[in-house]
Amino acid sequence: MDVNTKLIKKNAFRVTKVRGMTASRVRVPGGHLEAKYLGMVQEIAEEFGNGTVHITSRQGFEIPGIPFEKMPEVNSRLQPIIEGLGINQTDPGTGYPASGTRNITACPGNRICPYACYDTTAFAQRIEKAIFPNDLHFKVALTGCPNDCAKVRMHDFGIIGMTEPQFEPERCVNCGACIKYCRKKSVEALQRVKFRPQRNEEKCIGCGECVINCPMRAWTRSEQKYYKLTLLGRTGKRNPRLGEDFIKWIDEDSIVKIIVNAYEYVTKYVDPEAPGGKEHIGYIVDRTGFEEFEKFIMQGVTLPEKAEVFKPLYWKGPHFDR
Amino acid sequence: MGYILSPEAADRLIASLADDCLVFAPKRFVGGAVFSDLDCIRYGEVKTAGEIVFDQKSDYSFKEILTPVCQALFYFTEDQIKEADAPEKGAVVFLRSCDLHAVKRLDDIYLNNGEEDYYYRRLRDRVKFVVMGCSEAFDSCFCVDMGTNVPEGYNMSMEPAEGGFAIDCRDAELDELLGSLADRECDVEPSHVEETKTRVKIPEGLTQDVMRSKIWDEYDGRCIACGRCNFVCPTCTCYTMQDLFYTENGRVGERRRVQASCMVDGFTDVAGGGSYRKKNGERMRFKTLHKALDYKQRFGYQMCVGCGRCDDVCPEYISFSRILNRLGDMMEEVNTDAE
Amino acid sequence: MLNNEYVPFLSEIKEVIKHTAMEYTFRMAYEGDIRPGQFFEVSIPKYGEAPISVSGIGEGTVDLTIRKVGAVTNEVFEKYAGDKLFMRGPYGNGFDYDDYRGKELVVVAGGTGVSPVRGVVDHFASCPDETQGLTLIAGFKSPHDMLFRDDFPRWEKTSNIILTVDADDENTGMKVGLVTEYIPGLELDAVEDAAAIVVGPPVMMRFAVKALLDRGFREENIWVSQERKMCCGLGKCGHCKVGDTYICLDGPVFNYTKGKFLID
Repeated sequence: MDVNTKLIKKNAFRVTKVRGMTASRVRVPGGHLEAKYLGMVQEIAEEFGNGTVHITSRQGFEIPGIPFEKMPEVNSRLQPIIEGLGINQTDPGTGYPASGTRNITACPGNRICPYACYDTTAFAQRIEKAIFPNDLHFKVALTGCPNDCAKVRMHDFGIIGMTEPQFEPERCVNCGACIKYCRKKSVEALQRVKFRPQRNEEKCIGCGECVINCPMRAWTRSEQKYYKLTLLGRTGKRNPRLGEDFIKWIDEDSIVKIIVNAYEYVTKYVDPEAPGGKEHIGYIVDRTGFEEFEKFIMQGVTLPEKAEVFKPLYWKGPHFDR
Repeated sequence: MGYILSPEAADRLIASLADDCLVFAPKRFVGGAVFSDLDCIRYGEVKTAGEIVFDQKSDYSFKEILTPVCQALFYFTEDQIKEADAPEKGAVVFLRSCDLHAVKRLDDIYLNNGEEDYYYRRLRDRVKFVVMGCSEAFDSCFCVDMGTNVPEGYNMSMEPAEGGFAIDCRDAELDELLGSLADRECDVEPSHVEETKTRVKIPEGLTQDVMRSKIWDEYDGRCIACGRCNFVCPTCTCYTMQDLFYTENGRVGERRRVQASCMVDGFTDVAGGGSYRKKNGERMRFKTLHKALDYKQRFGYQMCVGCGRCDDVCPEYISFSRILNRLGDMMEEVNTDAE
Repeated sequence: MLNNEYVPFLSEIKEVIKHTAMEYTFRMAYEGDIRPGQFFEVSIPKYGEAPISVSGIGEGTVDLTIRKVGAVTNEVFEKYAGDKLFMRGPYGNGFDYDDYRGKELVVVAGGTGVSPVRGVVDHFASCPDETQGLTLIAGFKSPHDMLFRDDFPRWEKTSNIILTVDADDENTGMKVGLVTEYIPGLELDAVEDAAAIVVGPPVMMRFAVKALLDRGFREENIWVSQERKMCCGLGKCGHCKVGDTYICLDGPVFNYTKGKFLID
């Protein structure tokens, strides 16, 4: 049997444990989809695979037990899913054009969750449109609020939803709910001054607990949606680590630009000897220094007035390679 | 007199009303809800008819106009007091039948329970009410069972009809204005509902003994004492005084009152540290019996107007209409235990 | 012209009588009808208002006995004779002397509960002919916490005064025990016609009333005075409402036949 493993991997098929069998990897950007696509995944699994489906840790489906020769047929059956989920594709009917950049994952966001500050899936889809298809190894994840259920700090780019609480003093009844919940569930950024909550802007993480718990709509959400962008977290063998805060109170456009810019940086500095031409960005930045990375990613970025940029950045995590 | 107004004429009506007074109506606060990307419907000043939300229930009631959330009473220096000015303009308030009936409850507390309330009186005397007809009830409404479904004593009614608005005017001053704006005159009666999906029956033989029911304990665990039910209620009137000073040396300041809730911690705290009704179930019982029993003992009619806002707003999905409907069982439980 | 009940008037402090470190009586200038048991809202702008019951009525004066327990009262304690305080009131019904005239009267009071009844005791101790005999059972935590200590010798001349403390930590030889202990042994000519007034902390009131009923007092001959949070004093703010009753309007003094239904 002759299979170009390099090519099939880029086409989102996998070399599996079972000789002669591949697995098709279906991505769901932002983790939310119309239920009808589940039926299509089921059909592929039953007709071409072994009748099982693995739900991946990156919000996709991995359909195993597919003979390599069935790949073209599977690709044509994937077409409605690829189109329906808005995946950028160069050649219709030929399946996924790349698989290096990983599926953009997201928590349920404000389509479901009361804590979420924005529609995580919609933003994930916007980033998808901007960066796919791409073979470079990027991991991007979005979470609706600082609870970080999506574990975005384990990604190269972590996007955490924030709202800037707006206070209308004339609607405040001094019930203390905002102060209590900020203390118990968040960072204790509110204190009572002259019968009203006073917000420590530096401390506030924009989680919206005050807004959620205000019985009067004295606290409401800012019209502008804000985010926190964390950088260069990773899992892996050598030095797993959490992403560090880079910009607090950043906007959507700037985030998209920064991620797109990062591809230029990686293209320039990625180790040509890296296995499979893939390398975690973090290791590249460890080599070039953060300043060089920052120079690339901030090109053409105009941050909102509120934005706070943190630097220098230091990452932690165990170094198993030392 | 009845009128039909085109949307443009209705805008002109609101605009000319707004020349002389403040027009308050339920309006949409985009993104103003608790959760992101959802709107809040609550009272605010409007300048056009288009801003008035007719097809949704307001999350908060009109009472914010007559009993402001936060109201300055007077300003002081060390030994002088200057009364807060009355608003320069009167007000026109758009509201539904249930809320119009709630005005009677506010009046009875603020004008007929002891001395007249100075600040309420001076607002109340300058308010005209425009009733918004209800062609159908919202899910949580139970106005029919509370006898508040038919509007009474309004100055004007207004509701969407025939691509514009139908108006019934009972006010000579407004009649004059409408005569010049209306497309045509015709008989108009504001719509009202005759049935609601939510039904409520407060038992006849309800007495204070119902306090002893064990069912109240269920709410110790369920209720979070946030006070939303009170703050959205058109008939809740409680407030707390606040004194504050503006300057560092504390010579100039203000005394104001803000809306208060019998569900929220601190409501019964006395100086020295004592407090009554510590458990949330006790607070729920206190509120319920005020609405369904003791207000009636004092004023002769039920306090709750059945607007259902408390059901709509409760983050813990505690239904006040269900509590009212459980009073019969609670009474039976208490009576059986007594035997 | 509407009357604005919320705006307080300034009144001069005529005298400050210190009972304990925590309790002073402020003798305020005031002309007008007042009953003992009524209350004033006393305020220091910027600190707020506090309801204070009338503890004595003089010629052109009213006594307000204040316990230093909060922001407002802390501030009031910084004031001296000649200074002024903002007040509004009087509010509430107060005690009606007619309810007790011609009867044997027993007053049971605990701690600061002595303040609202002081006027009643003072009146009937000064006019012993108006009752068939006055007994005051007053309890304090310790000799140190005693209020109106100068009054007791005067009252003792005409009335039966029983003073008791929870603990005699200074070995003054005062009676030690609860006020309720002295109720069963009360010597009365006709308990079925005797009147009683009970004021004090909630637990003390409950047990004192029970002891009085056990002693043979009739419910309709017992009066109690209730303390609640009172913000406005005008039947509006709702803080003092219990059942269908607004303590500030309908009370704070209640006949027990009504008072027994006041359950929070």
